[in-house]
Amino acid sequence: MSELNAALEHPTYNYKVVRQFAVMTVVWGIVGMLVGVVIAAQLAWPALNFDLPWMHFGRLRPLHTNAVIFAFGGSALFATSYYIVQRTCQARLISDKLAAFTFWGWQLVIVSAAITLPMGITTSKEYAELEWPIDILITVVWVIYAFVFFGTIAKRKTTHIYVANWFLGAYILAVAVLHIINSMEIPVTMTKSYSVYAGTVDAMVQWWYGHNAVGFFLTAGFLGMMYYFVPKQADRPIYSYRLSIVHFWALVAVYIWAGPHHLHYTALPDWAQSLGMVMSIILLAPSWGGMINGMMTLSGAWDKLRTDPILRFLVVSLSFYGMSTFEGPMMAIRTVNALSHYTDWTIGHVHSGALGWVAMITIGSIYHLIPILFAKPRMYSTSLINTHFWLATIGTVLYIVSMWVNGILQGLMWRAYNQDGTLTYSFVEGVAASYPGYVVRFLGGAMFLSGMLIMAYNVYMTSRRNVESQALPANAV
Amino acid sequence: MIQHTFGLLVQPSKQWRAIAALEESTMRTLLIYPCLLAILPAVAWYYGTTEIGWTVGDHGETIRLTPESARQICILFYLTMLTCIAAIGYFVHWMAATYGAQSSTTRGIVIIGLTATPLFLAGLVGFYPILWLDMLVGVVAVCWAVYLMYLGIPIVMNIPEERGFLFSSAVMAIAMVILICLMVGSVILWDLGAAPVFTD
Repeated sequence: MSELNAALEHPTYNYKVVRQFAVMTVVWGIVGMLVGVVIAAQLAWPALNFDLPWMHFGRLRPLHTNAVIFAFGGSALFATSYYIVQRTCQARLISDKLAAFTFWGWQLVIVSAAITLPMGITTSKEYAELEWPIDILITVVWVIYAFVFFGTIAKRKTTHIYVANWFLGAYILAVAVLHIINSMEIPVTMTKSYSVYAGTVDAMVQWWYGHNAVGFFLTAGFLGMMYYFVPKQADRPIYSYRLSIVHFWALVAVYIWAGPHHLHYTALPDWAQSLGMVMSIILLAPSWGGMINGMMTLSGAWDKLRTDPILRFLVVSLSFYGMSTFEGPMMAIRTVNALSHYTDWTIGHVHSGALGWVAMITIGSIYHLIPILFAKPRMYSTSLINTHFWLATIGTVLYIVSMWVNGILQGLMWRAYNQDGTLTYSFVEGVAASYPGYVVRFLGGAMFLSGMLIMAYNVYMTSRRNVESQALPANAV
Repeated sequence: MIQHTFGLLVQPSKQWRAIAALEESTMRTLLIYPCLLAILPAVAWYYGTTEIGWTVGDHGETIRLTPESARQICILFYLTMLTCIAAIGYFVHWMAATYGAQSSTTRGIVIIGLTATPLFLAGLVGFYPILWLDMLVGVVAVCWAVYLMYLGIPIVMNIPEERGFLFSSAVMAIAMVILICLMVGSVILWDLGAAPVFTD
């Protein structure tokens, strides 16, 4: 094995850890999305849990979210941040051993999650379900990750720090703070702990964490990715460097306040809810700064679109980013939230960000990276990338649209009442009415997953040393 | 004008080229096109919600709107459709320079008005509202409209196809933002008193 890898080693940079994380991004993407498709099917056809406790929706759902956010998204962020920081600092990672430790440590976190969550071992904090021993492991891995990243920046050979590293640095620091504060818990046994916070404070800390996991993990981190791979793939400089710095500081300063919009009309004090709502609306401006910068950078590379489906992934990811960061502030308005909260509209919103933005920009970046990491001129098949693009786009659209319809339907049914003040519909009638939407959502998710399978095949063929890339179609569309 | 409707459904490419060749003054008359076609869904839904009604879930109780409420909502619906088309059309014109196209507000609105043809026709399902069927027809109509837009923008704006792809994607993002404005706008309007009134 070592001779095989030696042929791929870069003289200056550590590509090995990047390659490991890049491949695991695809693997965990398939696993996480497969679990997602299974639970989507369970919502349409509940018998699919086969009466097995570990197949129950309530246990698989956290497995799905952890797998796609931390395993798929996390691996993608590790891979790209290690790559970007080396390339833009023109320096090798400060320590290969510690980088390897973060890889194996992170995989161990994911495997532990995949074992404990179906067993029903959970803190019950959304997106922070993992129990305290795993929380400690995450903290250790993350601190070393921060050391490797910032250490590499410290030994850089360039004078200035490229903006992508600003975003990646903010994501690493903020996630450390969020994880440590939210996971403060008192262990009772090896597999059970209780949060140190109580009642409303616990809820507020949880959603301060939860929303900033979206803000720093899924937005700032992936914006870092965008700021490197969009200009690189378009082969043009970033449209406005000044805009990127301004919206970086604005994003960092505003995002941290938006958490309370997850707790509208709860026991949280009204002033805190209003503050969260106002900050969420202000957040639109810095969010769109990134979209405008990316879109304008890409708009000069139109002549490459014919031969480059990777660019299409990047274009579409920015469109969905723009849409979902507009939708979010709108849903944070209390009047709107009164209807949309707890309905499938929220699920649709999350997935327009998760599938449309996070997954699409990741897929585009990984397609850019894989040939470089395996020392090939390009991906094995360009037309398969194109197929993947259409499956992913149509799948995302089906998903979002079905959840919009379901969400508004549910919101209206739940609030409908008769003249005598009784509710018009029972809860289960709302579930029954959602059935067509659940089927469409399942189809959309399955399409997205099948795109990932095509990607895996393409990556595998690219990684094989004795296989040549297919010739580009003469009239590639 | 009716030949545009059929043309866009049957031979979209050819029809867009014919539209692209129109003089600016002829183009201006096409501004009436969405104003006329938008009547179809508004009337269909007025009839459907007041006369036929719909059911939700398994139990068979039919829900209807009172005629006053339906009239108010359908008029708002009609005006909203036109406002959206004008807004997206304006944005098409506004972005045209970025993508190297010669444009005018009229051109932008005409493209979007014609693009919406499948949506207007799909609105006819309102005559007999069945939730799952409406969703199905709606999805097909949206796909068709998106296809028409990706096809039409490079032709009518006279720019290379790849550039048109980026242009159309930007318009798509704007359309989605406006769609969300619509959803949010209706929720807020419900709160301000334009809530539907159901018959008992």
